[in-house]
Amino acid sequence: MAMQTVYLKEHEGLVYNSVGQLSSVTSAPWWSALGSQPVYGEYCGQIKPFSFEISNYVDQFPAGKQAVRGVEQLLDKGHTTTQFTIFPDDCKMSGDAENPQATLSLQSSLAEPHNRFEIGFNQPMICAKYPYMDQFYGLFSAFGPQISGRIMLPINLTSDDGPTYVNAKQYHGIIRRRLSRAKAVLENKMIKRRKPYMHESRHLHALRRPRGCGGRFLNTKGSTNGNGRNESKVNKTGGRQLQSSASQSSEVLHSEVGTLNSSKETNRSSPNISGSEVTSMYSREGFDGFSVNRLGSSVHSLVDMVLSRPLNGLQQYQVTAATLKFD
Amino acid sequence: MADSDNDSGGAHNSGKGGKVLPRELDRFLPIANVSRIMKKALLANAKILKYAKETVQECVSEFISFIIDEASDKCQREKRKVINGDDLLWAMTTLGFEDYVEPLKGYL
Repeated sequence: MAMQTVYLKEHEGLVYNSVGQLSSVTSAPWWSALGSQPVYGEYCGQIKPFSFEISNYVDQFPAGKQAVRGVEQLLDKGHTTTQFTIFPDDCKMSGDAENPQATLSLQSSLAEPHNRFEIGFNQPMICAKYPYMDQFYGLFSAFGPQISGRIMLPINLTSDDGPTYVNAKQYHGIIRRRLSRAKAVLENKMIKRRKPYMHESRHLHALRRPRGCGGRFLNTKGSTNGNGRNESKVNKTGGRQLQSSASQSSEVLHSEVGTLNSSKETNRSSPNISGSEVTSMYSREGFDGFSVNRLGSSVHSLVDMVLSRPLNGLQQYQVTAATLKFD
Repeated sequence: MADSDNDSGGAHNSGKGGKVLPRELDRFLPIANVSRIMKKALLANAKILKYAKETVQECVSEFISFIIDEASDKCQREKRKVINGDDLLWAMTTLGFEDYVEPLKGYL
């Protein structure tokens, strides 16, 4: 009698390989809690050959969006039943190892007809669930009930955050975008750091241009031949200079810091408007410009005077007049 | 109107693309246009850090690629080569952006 019962148990185990493999994955933390190392080792060894069968099931069950939702609802019920069936399956596999589990095997024999019905009902549904969550099936059960209308994204290796739930409608689009971005990175080897300028020649030209107070270009009025946009921009910059010169010394320093920050911002932006604006975007910091300008000329000495102390309207007018005469 | 703007923009990019990496120009929207749109929503004296501009530029470009990939996928399934306005509206509906469809019907 004992020998016949042993053969029957082995036969049942072979018939339900796929279900056993699924349940064993989820049962790993539960079984480790018992603390019996040799039985756990057996399961680790047995999991590997079953993975090939799972790949076959993945091919057999291509699921759509609605099917995914239906499978999820069924899986919530099926998860509890499979968790219940884990107990007798483990006893069957390890019946010969230890004596205290002999009584457990008796309980499993009593529950056999119930197991057959449940396992047969859940088998295709559980396999259909697999293609979407095959890598993270263990994590899926750990996070408990799902939010309605949301699907969990596969975890990125780069981001250390937990799983992200997204709109079910957008899941496929997001996966497609991730693949296309990865493909673009591999093909073009895109550098994430941005280039400070697009054209070397324009960059060198901007470096050579003379600069005035706050690092702005000096000969801005000379380029008024263009459109009305440039003219209005020139007027705006002139107004800013007048306001800054009229204010107190502390405010002058504050405005200078602001202008330096704005020049830094424009330093790395990409051009797409007219030529004068493009060249203005390539302006560098004020100190570099002043070091170039101080090589020697009366106009540049006047600029140095501008930095030392604030000017009133009349002196500002004199400075602009001097620059025009110099040109 | 939008289609002609896109065509001129593409020609402009292709003109510059010959010298510099063409992919980098095709990857993002022009940052000056993005910052101009951002400034419209702010006060007159507000300033925007370059990191904010770059981040919004990346987000906007990714959103456009997200929509266009969905529309392009539909065109490939139907063996068509031209993406029209109806495809964009369908893509937005499919991805859950139904609120955008009514305002965009006036443009597409």
